[in-house]
Amino acid sequence: MNKYVRMLSFVAVLGAVSSGLLTGAKYLTDDLIDANADALLKSEILTAHEVDFNFTNIHDVFAAETTIYTYDTIYGDAEISLTYWQDNTTDRVTIQFGPTFGGGVWGPIIGLLSLESDFNTIVRIAILQQEETPGLGGVVATRTYLDQFVGKTFDEGLEIIKGLDVSAAADNEVPAITGATRTSNQFQIILNNAFTTHASVWADNAESRA
Amino acid sequence: MKKFFIRLNYTKGFNVLKKGFWLENQVAIAVLGICSSLAITNKVENAIAMGLGVTFVVMASSALIALIRNFIPSQVRMVTYMVIISSFVIIVQMFLKAYFPSLANQLGAYVGLIITNCIVMGRAEAFAVKNPVKYALVDGFASGMGYMIVLLAASTIREVLAFGTFLNIPVMGEGWVPWTIMALAPGGFFVISLFVWFIRDRQQYVEGGN
Repeated sequence: MNKYVRMLSFVAVLGAVSSGLLTGAKYLTDDLIDANADALLKSEILTAHEVDFNFTNIHDVFAAETTIYTYDTIYGDAEISLTYWQDNTTDRVTIQFGPTFGGGVWGPIIGLLSLESDFNTIVRIAILQQEETPGLGGVVATRTYLDQFVGKTFDEGLEIIKGLDVSAAADNEVPAITGATRTSNQFQIILNNAFTTHASVWADNAESRA
Repeated sequence: MKKFFIRLNYTKGFNVLKKGFWLENQVAIAVLGICSSLAITNKVENAIAMGLGVTFVVMASSALIALIRNFIPSQVRMVTYMVIISSFVIIVQMFLKAYFPSLANQLGAYVGLIITNCIVMGRAEAFAVKNPVKYALVDGFASGMGYMIVLLAASTIREVLAFGTFLNIPVMGEGWVPWTIMALAPGGFFVISLFVWFIRDRQQYVEGGN
């Protein structure tokens, strides 16, 4: 009997201590993690809009240089809210893509797509979160790969093509990641879905912004 | 000097170190940690991040388990290891995200993956629960480093052949045709198997033998 009491007591103490430690760690770090995520989002948007900033003035610069528009729409069967960050000087627009528009192979791919004022030409893509295979699909988050999208357009839908000869690529074609065809396909779907949805809602609300 | 080495050879700490690095190498002899070895050895930087992460977690969890080993009821020891290891990894992950966001970003999924590494649980059950803290620490260090050495060797071969780079620096010249298979799981199987064979052959190790 004593053996079971001892075991139960140990499990109860272990559970209480580990829960307490995890709750404490969450309490200590939650605000900082949120602040870091907010700063990362703002820094990526300001970088795409080519606005000078540093980490002491980022929030002030962002507030002064960026106008935020939010519109509700229906996507599939769900009602979603779309956010647009527009640069006050160049009219470049940044939109966010995420799990609503398709997932990666192992988890969501969340990021920012920045477009010229024509709402068609890509200025920059940044990945905020992804869980693809390190070294393969994970290449999707690298600057070297993402820079290949700069200058590409959505006129005919973006195409990510396996074995593409970059020198002969059309305006809507980008090479796939070597050894990560599924991630490349999913990334193409996410970008095209996100662009199409955002572009149509942006156009529908043009009058309200005028 | 010779006397020093003879004396060193008979110390428990040195023998624990030697076993972890070579004689009982966790990948080649114990065949543990194979999943992560296959997944992440396509880039040297991944191998370094994973190797250091696992070494740190094995040392810390082994030390804690060794410290409370006399209080752990044998019926719940596996659950106890799991709770300690996962709590520890989650807390580390939270603090990295809060205080070192760029490092947390670079390590990505690796920190979470450490929980599932068999080596951590294996050393807790095979060594830490039967030995004092100081030896548990040495064993954790040696096991983690033994794992990291195999990872580094395998990833060097795979990265050079798969991408023509070493630590992302081109080393194979412009005409190099990448061996895509080396970036994929089969390439991992080939290279890790070669290392298992090489290390076992050097030690004349026979499965189930004396």
